This record gives sequence, structure tokens and C-alpha cells, in this order.
Amino acid sequence: MVYNINCFNFAIEMGKERQRTSLLFLFQGIVYDVNRFIKLVKTPTMEERKITEAESLEIITSMISRTKDRLVKGSGNILLMWGYLIVAVTALIWVLLVTTNNPAVNWLWFLIWLIGGIATPIMAMRKRMETGSKSYTDKLTSYIWSVVGLTAIVSAILCFGFLFIGGKDSWSMMFAFALIIVPMAEIMQGLVIKENSLIAGGGIGLLIGLFTMCCISAQVELMATWFMPLFMMAFAAMMIVPGHILNSKAKRQS
Amino acid sequence: MRELNPLLHSQLRLGVMSILMNVEEADFVYLREKTESTAGNLSVQLDKLSAAGYISVKKGFVGKKTRTTARITEKGSNAFVEYVEALKQYISMQ
Repeated sequence: MVYNINCFNFAIEMGKERQRTSLLFLFQGIVYDVNRFIKLVKTPTMEERKITEAESLEIITSMISRTKDRLVKGSGNILLMWGYLIVAVTALIWVLLVTTNNPAVNWLWFLIWLIGGIATPIMAMRKRMETGSKSYTDKLTSYIWSVVGLTAIVSAILCFGFLFIGGKDSWSMMFAFALIIVPMAEIMQGLVIKENSLIAGGGIGLLIGLFTMCCISAQVELMATWFMPLFMMAFAAMMIVPGHILNSKAKRQS
Repeated sequence: MRELNPLLHSQLRLGVMSILMNVEEADFVYLREKTESTAGNLSVQLDKLSAAGYISVKKGFVGKKTRTTARITEKGSNAFVEYVEALKQYISMQ
């Protein structure tokens, strides 16, 4: 009996001890958490630590230098896509015109719009995803080419109007558009990003464009035999050559 | 003497603001790479700048991936200009 009572007392004591122990653990846990919290609040992370004025200036300078407009891999891809597309479609129409003499093949010009119009936003979005940022130069360039695109749409609508309402063929104006507005935009882009190949290519295109304007004004017929190769040459100089130069420069920079 | 804005007078926040002053918009990965920070820290600092109205953060999807982009607001731009002006005063005093 005594033994049993002792056992009972022991059990109670053990229970109390366990309670004390668990309370102690609980208290220790709370102290640990509070300490950890105080430590977290008091110890500044790298980003929170105080910086000196000189360090501030250094950070600003360093970040500006890191975000300077640099060519990224594939910078000339959109230019190359348009260049090769225009040259390929022109070559196709040229061959078909010379061999079949059917003016209906001229509808194939719209392939440029269709393919280029779909591919450009996709390529532009992919490029932006790769670079991760949009600079003010990108914004300006995008505005310049948007104006070119809108002018192209308005020009085409006008040409359709002349054809279907007035019964007049004014499509040669599109050549003048392609060789005046596009080179102008390219020269502007070249000046903005300080890229001589764009300025030179645009200059060649503009020269051919002015010649085309003179031909149209002087009513010299733009014959497929000589004008189409000239048109292809202009786009090779304006887009294919600068596109490859931009890509090779970007490759060297990265 | 003007006091340096405490919100900007921090290494990472100042770095982010300097970048966003220089570009139209930048995504999270770009900011993380340029500032050489960790995703967690950058996220916290972006939240602070956003809460102060210094930057606007846009979360979207590109395909299946999420894409967070940030751009500086007019308030943020003014605060940065003021910070630089105050900084100039401090440096010219030294």
C-alpha cells in the first residue's frame, strides 16, 4: 500500500516535473523566437544597411552604366526577316512576271504584309523577353516604325481607292513609299542608335527612292526587267547588310 | 540642408530606382541580374517602392510564364531627382 502511495506520489511528481519541463521548453522557445525577431529587426540585410553619400553616387553611376543601350544577340533579326522576305517575294514576282507576263502575280506583294505583319510582333515580343527591359531608344524606334507601318496601310488604302473607284493604277506609288519612307525611318533609327550601317543602307535606299520618284514624275515606265533587281538591291543594302552587321556586333559584345 | 530620402537611401532600392530612371520598363529578372540581388530581397524592396507610389508594378503572363514588370511613376521620378539634388549638397559640403 505504502509502495503504491509512493508510486502514486512519484507519478504526480513526474507529471508536475514534465509540466515544468514542457513549460520551460515553451518559455525557451518564446525567448528564442523573440531573440530571433529582435535580431532580424536589428541586423540590417545588405539591402537595408546604411550607405554613405559616396556609395549612393557610386550605385547610381554603376546602375546607369549597366543599363546603357547595348546590342543584344539577334538585334538585327527583325531587319533580316524583312530584308530577306522582301527580296524573296520580289524575286518570285519578278520571275513570274518575266515568265508568265500575268499582272495578277502582283497580288503576291501582299505576302510581304501578311508574313511580315505576323512575324514582327512575335519577334519583337521575343526580343523584349530576352532583354528584359524596354529602353527609351526602343520606345522611339518602335514609334518610328509604327509610323512607317501606318503610312503603308494608308498608302495601300489610297491605291485600292484609286483602283476600284477611279479605275487608275497607282501602285507604283508603293515603290516610292517603300524607297522613301522606309529609308528615312532607317536613317533616323541609325542616328538614334548611332549605327553607321543603318545610315549608309538607308542612304542608298533613299537615293534609289528619289530616282524612282523622278522616273514616276517623268513617266518613265518602271519595267520589271531593270526595276525589280534595283528594288532588291535597295532592300539588300537597307536591311540585309545592316542586319548582319548588327548581329555580328551583338555577338562580339556578348 | 535637405535630408536624404530614407526610402531611397538604401542600396537595393536606390539601385532599382536608378535603373528604372534609365529605362522605360524593366522586368523582374532584368532587375535581379542588374542589381545582383536575390529574388526575395528584390521582391520586398519592390513592394516598398510600390507602396510608396514610386514605381508601378504590373504582373502578367507571357505564355505560361509569369512576368512582373516595373516602371517608375512621376512621383518616383520626382523623388529621385530630389534625392540626387540633396546628395549633391551633401557631397559639395564634404
